[in-house]
Amino acid sequence: MQPIVDVHHLDKYFGRLHVLKDISFSVDTAEVVCIIGRSGSGKSTFLRCLNFLETPDHGSISVDGVVVNANESGRSYHRRLHAIRLKTGMVFQAFNLFPHMTALENVIEGPITVKKINQQEAVEIGKSNLEKVGLADKQDEYPSRLSGGQQQRVAIARALAMQPRIMLFDEPTSSLDPELIAEVLDVMQQLVEDGMTMLIVTHEMGFARNFADRVIFIDEGHFVEEGSPNQVFSEPQDQRTQIFLNALKRFNQADNKS
Amino acid sequence: MKRTLGSNLKNQSELIEELRKRQQFRFQLSVYLSWLGLLIILLFAFSGFEAQFWGIQVRTIKLDFQFIRRHAPFIAGGIGLTILLSFFSIILASCLAFLGALGRLSKIPLVYALATFYISLIRGTPLLLQIIFFYLGLPQLGIRLSGMTAGILALGINYGAYMTEIFRAGIQSVGVGQREAALAIGMNQRQLMQRIVLPQAIRLVIPPIGNQFIAMLKDTALVSVTGFVWEILWRAQKQGRAYFRNLEALFIAAIFYWILTIIFSLIQGRVEAYFAKGDR
Repeated sequence: MQPIVDVHHLDKYFGRLHVLKDISFSVDTAEVVCIIGRSGSGKSTFLRCLNFLETPDHGSISVDGVVVNANESGRSYHRRLHAIRLKTGMVFQAFNLFPHMTALENVIEGPITVKKINQQEAVEIGKSNLEKVGLADKQDEYPSRLSGGQQQRVAIARALAMQPRIMLFDEPTSSLDPELIAEVLDVMQQLVEDGMTMLIVTHEMGFARNFADRVIFIDEGHFVEEGSPNQVFSEPQDQRTQIFLNALKRFNQADNKS
Repeated sequence: MKRTLGSNLKNQSELIEELRKRQQFRFQLSVYLSWLGLLIILLFAFSGFEAQFWGIQVRTIKLDFQFIRRHAPFIAGGIGLTILLSFFSIILASCLAFLGALGRLSKIPLVYALATFYISLIRGTPLLLQIIFFYLGLPQLGIRLSGMTAGILALGINYGAYMTEIFRAGIQSVGVGQREAALAIGMNQRQLMQRIVLPQAIRLVIPPIGNQFIAMLKDTALVSVTGFVWEILWRAQKQGRAYFRNLEALFIAAIFYWILTIIFSLIQGRVEAYFAKGDR
C-alpha cells in the first residue's frame, strides 16, 4: 500500500539553527501517529513543514501522491503546494478561528472560498461537521462567545470540512484549561474510530498510549525513538526517551498527589 | 425558606445594578447641565449685553442679528459642498492609505521606498501649500484643475499619507495565526487578504477613519483659498467682506462647522458601536 505521507531527507534551518536533521518518515492510510518530545525539539516545526507553513530547506515531501521538493519554485510548485494543503487539515494550538465569522461561517469558509462549492451545499457540509464535533447548537455563535474547548472543536470541524486525507494536530489541547481537554480528545477519538489518518503532536500521553498506532519521540531534530505505544512508553531503548518519560511521570505523580 | 433567600439575593444584585444606573444617570445629567451652562455663557458673550457695575463698564460682543438672519441661508448653502468635498477626499485618502499601507508592509524595496517617500513628502509640507500647488502650481505645467478637483486631490493625498499608518496598524493587528489558518485551508494571498485580513482590519480602521473625516470637514475650509469652491468659509468671507460684517459671517460659519462636527461625531459613535459588536 502506498503511504499517504512520505518524507525524504527533510532538513530545516532557522538561520544557523538546524531544527530538523535529515528526517525520513511515512504514514499509512488510517494510521494514527503521535509525535512527542520536549519543547524546542522540532516536533511542531516538523508538522508545519508537512503543509508548508514552514518551508523545508532540503528533502522532499509527498502527500497522497503529490510530491514537492525543497527549493522548488514557479507555477507548478505553487499548484502542487496548494494541492497538498487541500489534502491536509490542520488544527492549531491556539485554535486560530476567524473571529469575524460565526462557527458555521468559519467551517464553510474553506469550502466556499477555496473549493468554490455553492452556499447551500457548503452549509450542509458545515452543519454535518459541526454536528460531528457536537456543536450543532452553536453554529451561529461567534468564537469569542465559545469556550476554548468549543473553539478547538469548531477548528477541527473547519479542517474536516475540506475533506482532507490526513489531519495534522499541533498540540491541540495545550492551551486548554484541564477540564476542557477531554471534550477535544473525545472528538479526536471519534476521528480515530472513523478511520481518519492522523498525525498528532501532543503532550497527552494517555491519548497517545490508547489510540496511537505508532509513537515517535523527537529530540534535537532527530527521530530518536519510534515504535508502538507499548514499546516507546514501556520499554524505551534510548536514554533520552527514558529521561523525558521519567520527567513526565514525576510531573504526573506530583499532579495526582496535589 | 430557601425561596426567600434566593429572591433576596436576586433583589440585592438588582439593587446594586439600580444604584449603578442611578449614579451613571446622575453623572450624565450633570454633564448635560454643565454643557448647557457653558453654552449660555458663550451665547452671553455674543449677546451685546451692556451695563455698568459700580462704575465699571461691562460689555459683551454685539452682533448684527439682522445680517445674520439675512445671510445665514446663503452661507448654509455651502454645507452641501463642504460635506461633498470631505466625502470624496476621504474616499481618495482611504484608497491611497490602503495602498500606502500595503507598500509599508511590502518586502520589495522599491515598493516600500515609494510608500515611505510619499508619506515623508506629504507630511513634510503644509496642507495649505499643497492645495495652492494643485490649484496654482500645476497650471504652469499645463494642467488646469477646477478648484473642487484641486481641493479633493490635495486633501485626499494629504490625508492619505496620514492615514497610511492607521491602515498599516489595522492590517498588522491581524495575527500570524489567522494567516496560517487561512493558508492551511488552502487560501491564496488574495483570498487571505479579502476574506480574512481586510474584514478584521476594517473593523479596527473604521473608527479612526471617522475621526479623520471629522477633522477633514474643517480642513475643507482651506480650499476656500482657491476662490472658486463655494463651501462654507468661502461664502462667509464673501458676505463678510461685502457688507463689512466679518465677525457675524465667521460666527455663522463657525456655528455650521460645529453643528456638522457634532452630528458626524454622533454618527461615528453609532458606527463605532456597530463595529465593536461580536468579537474580541
